[in-house]
Amino acid sequence: MSMSRLAALAESLSSKFKRTDWDGVTKKWGLRGLAVVNAACAIHLFAEHVGWIHVVAGPSMLPTMSASGEAVLENRLISPSNLKRGDLVTYVSPLDPTRMVCKRLIGLPGDVVCVDPTGATAPSTEHVVIPKGHVWFIGDNAEMSRDSRQYGPVSMSLIRGKLVAKVWPLSSAGWFRNNFHYIDPPSH
Amino acid sequence: MVWLPTGVAFTQYFYSLRLVSGRSMQPTLNPDDSVWRDIVVFDHFSINWLQQYERGDIVALRSPHEGKLIVKRIVALPGDTVKTLPPYPDAEVYLPEGHAWVEGDEPFKSEDSNYFGPVPLGLIDSKLSAIVWPPARFGPILEPGTGKHRPQSGPAWRRERDSLERDKRRQSRVTIGSQVP
Repeated sequence: MSMSRLAALAESLSSKFKRTDWDGVTKKWGLRGLAVVNAACAIHLFAEHVGWIHVVAGPSMLPTMSASGEAVLENRLISPSNLKRGDLVTYVSPLDPTRMVCKRLIGLPGDVVCVDPTGATAPSTEHVVIPKGHVWFIGDNAEMSRDSRQYGPVSMSLIRGKLVAKVWPLSSAGWFRNNFHYIDPPSH
Repeated sequence: MVWLPTGVAFTQYFYSLRLVSGRSMQPTLNPDDSVWRDIVVFDHFSINWLQQYERGDIVALRSPHEGKLIVKRIVALPGDTVKTLPPYPDAEVYLPEGHAWVEGDEPFKSEDSNYFGPVPLGLIDSKLSAIVWPPARFGPILEPGTGKHRPQSGPAWRRERDSLERDKRRQSRVTIGSQVP
């Protein structure tokens, strides 16, 4: 009884198997797979060249950004030469090419900066002139940050983008405003 | 048009073909006797994904000052000590974490680390793996001294011998450090 039903089922399955156009199926799913890869490439290129939302981690930018659990919107459509002092900038770490870091831009080419006013990493009297094509970065939480005080001026070619807004958590979401305050406003 | 993203991603993360201009890598690239400018395969995969940086590799990197793409040879890696050439102010330099020393093969026409100092590895964009044009020099870019030239004479053999000599001179200026890059 059940044996004959099983046999009938197997028969119907095998006839269905024979009727299926396997070349067509392979082609269809192959094309779908390629379309998924293509879409992933498109999204990745958008994130790489236009902008995307990133989760930030690490204590170096406290209190602007907390050590974990916050997301920010990054703008990649920038030209490094248009950055201003006080901007939050993302760049490839000069110490590790696989790491992206975010710090605050302090000095532009030609500026004279004091390497470390506290004297912790360098004598507090040491000043440097930032060379052409380079900028000076410091983390907001200077105690817990590895930045230009260790590795010196950073080449503008390492700069990738600029943070525009905090998007998560919603309670503290908002645009990042340039909070740089000039005691003696630059003349130009 | 629909497949453009895949194509662009491929040239950005795997391989692309580019024209090399300038004389700083003579005679390895753009030698004087060539009427063409070289077209070379740029390998992004080993740099971006595998993080393979090796002494002697010819790489394309962003110039730290101007941001334009330049082609140079990696001489030393993090932890190494290099004897510099003029116009660098110090006689010897120790390469800090994440930095490499790059030089052109033609020391008089090259703006390299002797001019701008050690460069962060993050500036290195791709590795040059093969010459595709002109056809006379078609083929992978080999390490000096690996080419086989049966008659120990002729221009190809002399070029090979010279590149081996340059390589020896380059290596003699580098003290390899213990730090793994």
